Order: sequence, then C-alpha cells, then structure tokens
Amino acid sequence: MRAFLRFEWQRLFAEKKNLVFLGAIALFSGYFTWSGLAEFRQFQAEKDIFIRFEKEKASRIINYSQYGAYGFRLLYEAAPLNLFFINSSVLQDVESNIDSLEAIKIESSFKGKKLFLKRGYFKDFAGIPFIFGSLFMLYMGHLALVGPAYLRFMSRRMSLKKFYGLTTAARLFWLNLFFVFLGLVLFFLVRLGGVSFSGPERNVFLLYLLFLVLLLDFIYLLGQWITVLLRFRKIFFLWFFIVWFICIFMLPEFNRISVFNQSQFLESAEKVNLDKFRNLMALEQKFRDYLKVNPSTPLDQIRQMQKKFAVQFLNNSYLMNTSLETKYLRDVEKVIDGHEWQSVLFPTTFYQFLTGEASGKGFYGYLDFMEYIMRLRNRFMQFYMKNRYENNNSVIESFVKDDENIFHSSSRLPDTYWLGVLVTMLYGSILSLLAFKRLRCLVFLP
Amino acid sequence: MIQVRELSLECGDMFLDALSLDVANGEIYFLLNRLGQDSDLLFRVLSGFQKPAAGRILFDSRSQGEGPGVAFIDRVADVADFDTEARVGDWIDFLCATGLNRENIYKTLLVCNFHEQHLKKKFRELAPEIFNQVYLAACLAPDHGNIVINDFIRGAEKGFELKFNRLLLQQKAQGRAILCLGGDIIYASEIADRVGFVKNGHLLFDADAAELKDMDIKGLYLKLLN
Repeated sequence: MRAFLRFEWQRLFAEKKNLVFLGAIALFSGYFTWSGLAEFRQFQAEKDIFIRFEKEKASRIINYSQYGAYGFRLLYEAAPLNLFFINSSVLQDVESNIDSLEAIKIESSFKGKKLFLKRGYFKDFAGIPFIFGSLFMLYMGHLALVGPAYLRFMSRRMSLKKFYGLTTAARLFWLNLFFVFLGLVLFFLVRLGGVSFSGPERNVFLLYLLFLVLLLDFIYLLGQWITVLLRFRKIFFLWFFIVWFICIFMLPEFNRISVFNQSQFLESAEKVNLDKFRNLMALEQKFRDYLKVNPSTPLDQIRQMQKKFAVQFLNNSYLMNTSLETKYLRDVEKVIDGHEWQSVLFPTTFYQFLTGEASGKGFYGYLDFMEYIMRLRNRFMQFYMKNRYENNNSVIESFVKDDENIFHSSSRLPDTYWLGVLVTMLYGSILSLLAFKRLRCLVFLP
Repeated sequence: MIQVRELSLECGDMFLDALSLDVANGEIYFLLNRLGQDSDLLFRVLSGFQKPAAGRILFDSRSQGEGPGVAFIDRVADVADFDTEARVGDWIDFLCATGLNRENIYKTLLVCNFHEQHLKKKFRELAPEIFNQVYLAACLAPDHGNIVINDFIRGAEKGFELKFNRLLLQQKAQGRAILCLGGDIIYASEIADRVGFVKNGHLLFDADAAELKDMDIKGLYLKLLN
C-alpha cells in the first residue's frame, strides 16, 4: 500500500495542471470563505444597530395601542457556520415584524448595502468543491487506470483486483486528504479571525466534510466507471461533461422543481391570512353591532366592552387563527420532510439539502423561525392586551427583553444524514464493482 | 522452454488450428504470420488475457522470479497508453517497490544507452524509442526463463532495433527460450534460430533460420505471408 500511496502522490501532485486546478480550488474556497466572514462581520455590526434601533423605537412609543400597531421587528441570525454556506442557504437575510395584526410577515430587505449582497449560485465555500471539486474528481477518476495496455502490463505484476483496489484507495486517500485539509485550514483561519464555533457546530462542520469527501469519492468512481464503460476512448470528454452537468446541475434542479410541485398542494399563505383576517373582522363586526345598538354608551363602558371583546378575541378568534397558522406550518413541514427523503436518493441532491441545513438558514431553520415567531407573538398578544386595557401608566414598557428580538438559528444536520452517508457509500460501492467487472472483461477477453 | 500443444483459437475471422511448437532454452523462435491482429490474438492467448478454444501452453520452471516464469513484451502502439502522469523515475521506483529488481532494470537501460535525464521526464515527453527502452527494462526486470515478444520492433528506428537485438542475444545467451511473433521475414532471418510460418490458421512451414538465408525470401514472403 505504501508503494501505491507514494506513486499516486507523484501522479497527482507532480502534474502541473492538477496543481493549478487544486490551487484554484483552494484559492476560490479561501476567497469565498473570506467573503463569507466579511458578510458575517457586517451582519454583526448591522445587528447591533438593529438592536439599538428597536430599543429606541420602543422608548418613543406613546401608548400601548401604538405599540400594538407598530410592534417590533425580529431579526433572523444564522449560526456562525453560515459563513461557509452563505450561498447555500434556503433563506436570505430575513426579518419579521411582530405586531397585533393578523398576518405573519417574513421579509428580506434589499436596502443599501444589502442590495449588493446578492451572489450567483454556488459562490461560497460549500459551492467551490461541489462545482470545481466534482469536475476535478471526475477527471481524476478518468485518468486513474491509464488504459488497457497499461493495465495488462500491470496485471502481469499483480492481480488486477489488487491493482485496481490499491490504486483507487491510494488516489482517494490523497484527494480526500486535500479537501479535508482545505476545509480544516479554512475553519481554523476563520476561528483565528475571531469567530467562535460551539461544540455542536464543530461537529456539524466535521460531518459536513465527511459527506463532502464521500460525495467527491462518488464522483471520482463515476468518472472511473464511465471511462471503463467507454473503453478509455477519447470521446469520453463529451460524456464526461454531460454526466457532470446532469449530476451537479440537473438532478438538484429536478429535485427543487419536484418540491415546488409538491408545495402546490399547500394552501396559499394569502388564503391563510385571509381566513385569519375574516375571523378577526367577525369579532370586530360584533363590537360595531354592539355600538350601533347602544350608540349612547359612555366612554368608560366602551372601554370595558373593548376589554371584554379583547379577552373574547384571545380566547376564540386568536386561538383559531393560531391553530390555522400551526396547521399551515405542519403542512409545510410535511412538504419539507418529503423533500428531505427525496434528496437522500442521490448524493448531489442530498449535498444541497445538507449544506442548506448546515448553513442554519435551511428549511428546518425556517420552521424553527416560524415557531419562534408564533411563540413570541403569542406572548406579545397577551402582553399587549393586558397592558392596553389594564395598564393606565403612560410609560411604555418594552416587550423585548435582552436580545429576544434576535432569532438565533442553529446549524444542524438533517435527520437523514447517516442514511445519506450510507446511500452515497452504496452508490460508490456499486460503481466501483461495476467498473471492476467491466474492466476485467476489457483486460481479460472471454 | 516454451511448449505449445494443439492450440486452437478463433476470434472473428482470425483463427488458429491445432498449433504445436517447442522453443528450447537458449533459442529464438520466430513465428511469422499476417501483420497485425493475428499476432495480437496469439499473444493475448499466450499471455493469458484470452482463453484458447483448445490446447495448452507450458512454460518451463527455470524461472527464478515471480509470475508464470515468462516475460511478455507487447508492442505499445502509443506512448500515451502508458501515461501515468508520473515521472519515469517515480514509475520505476513504484515497480521496484512492488517487487521488480532494480538492478535488472538498470542493466537493461545501460545496454540501451538510456540517459539518466529521461528519468525526470513524464511518459508523454519521451520519444517512442526512449519509451520502448523503459518499457523493455520493466518487462525484462523479473528474472524469467522465457520471453514472448509481440511484434515489438515494428516501426522502430534502426538504432533501437540494434540495441534490442543486442539485448535479445544477451537473453538468449543466458539460456532463455524466446518466442517472437511478427510479420517481418527479414528481421526474423537475422535474429531467429528457427522460423515458423502460420497461414490460414495452420503452421505451414518450420525451418532453421540458416536455411532461410539460402531461400528466396521475397518468394517465401509472397507465398506464405502476403
């Protein structure tokens, strides 16, 4: 094995074009990590201003009625690990406004600096090995076995199985080492840059690297298999590009279209808002009808009635609206769940799902955000109703304590992570066996 | 010693019908046949990469090295077929690490006047003649008692042919049985001890090379090989 390791090191790293390609991968990965770090720092600065702004806004509000109408904003803060996956996120920079209105709003601002944040596809650390790494691995797989004449020569020295197995293992060892080393170096450089990662985040990153190398190994074995299948013909390059394009671009896109089609069965978010609005309006109509019937009601009695209706609202319409929202969220969760299971079926689709979740701005991050909004909104409504109708103090107390208006999302791995790993390994093993079987037929004619 | 007994094989329109021959130790036997695929097919069968329809091939046990006791030297059509992207020196190191005798490799390279600077080159940077020297050195490195060669010097320059002949005679002097396959009757008459002609799947003619020199080679070529 040591002889193979030494020789494959020479084959891989004594070749100028390989070094240029690997250097470019390292450079681009470094550049996009640095760019992710800059965006992370900018977000932190913006976040401080956001917190100050919200505090100042709350202090300027005159009464609770106004506070209910304005509410407060809630900022989505991705985990620090997001800087490696900044463009793999499902969500962009988002925030929500929590007020006494019925619709839950999640929006993204494109104001000022944020206008220039928009990147093209795959332009982050996770995207570079995915695009360029996969292309490189496909090519490395193509070159691995050299050709039938060489294989015949070598199989006179040792068994074809041994040569095939050890060559593949040695090449994958060095190539995997490069990508793992690159990931770890960038991770530590980011730490040196002042970003601290929690223990679970470190684990997420390490497990992400594990899947990355498995994915790249799968692509390498795919390249090796296609080369053998096409009998080492030079026409391979056309196939080579087609296969790469299908794996990297088409299949993930088909997967996205498929989840979009599944989401068509979801009720429209506007419809949910409309239902909630109608529930609220029904209660308001009752209050107006009461005033019509009793036009000369004194002001303090109207206030008492308002309070009564508010309590009624909290106990009926609000609960109904919350259950509508929860049901809607569960329906979305089912679609996400289906999408996750569908992604597991192919390594590149699972990679996209994984990077989205590792970024902390994935589908499950969205669900957590929504649940956080609903919890906070629930508490805010109680706070608002209590203070509006019971508190006569003119001084407004802010609902937001500490950094409650910052939602800290966490980087996570999909629940299907290990299944995804197994499926990818299974694909790799099958490709490896198919390539060997075909290779044996090519070298040893019947 | 190489013994071929009742060897029959068929592949497309190429076939061989019950070929039997013996190559003694210290002898060069040249089996002449149609240029190209006939040799390749027979070579594949002799080297174990294709199964014959019938018959058997025996190589004696004089071997001191690895493998079946026979060194196979195939014609490599294109240097790119061996382009591992590593340097020649690294490739030789790899072969030695997997069991080849470095001394034997350098001995062969010395006979070929191989220049050390080529060790730093990659295969694709080598001239075909230099590549053939490296390839030959690797093929002959195990101390096998028998050698089977397939049309190796076809298209080679005269200089390389002479070096190759010198090597072949050296191997013969060391008592190795050498079976050459090819279509060059003139080369066969120069290098071989005995010559056989295969046509339409049958061994038509078997003679000492010395006898061949007295014959009308052009006539023989037209009659038996064209």
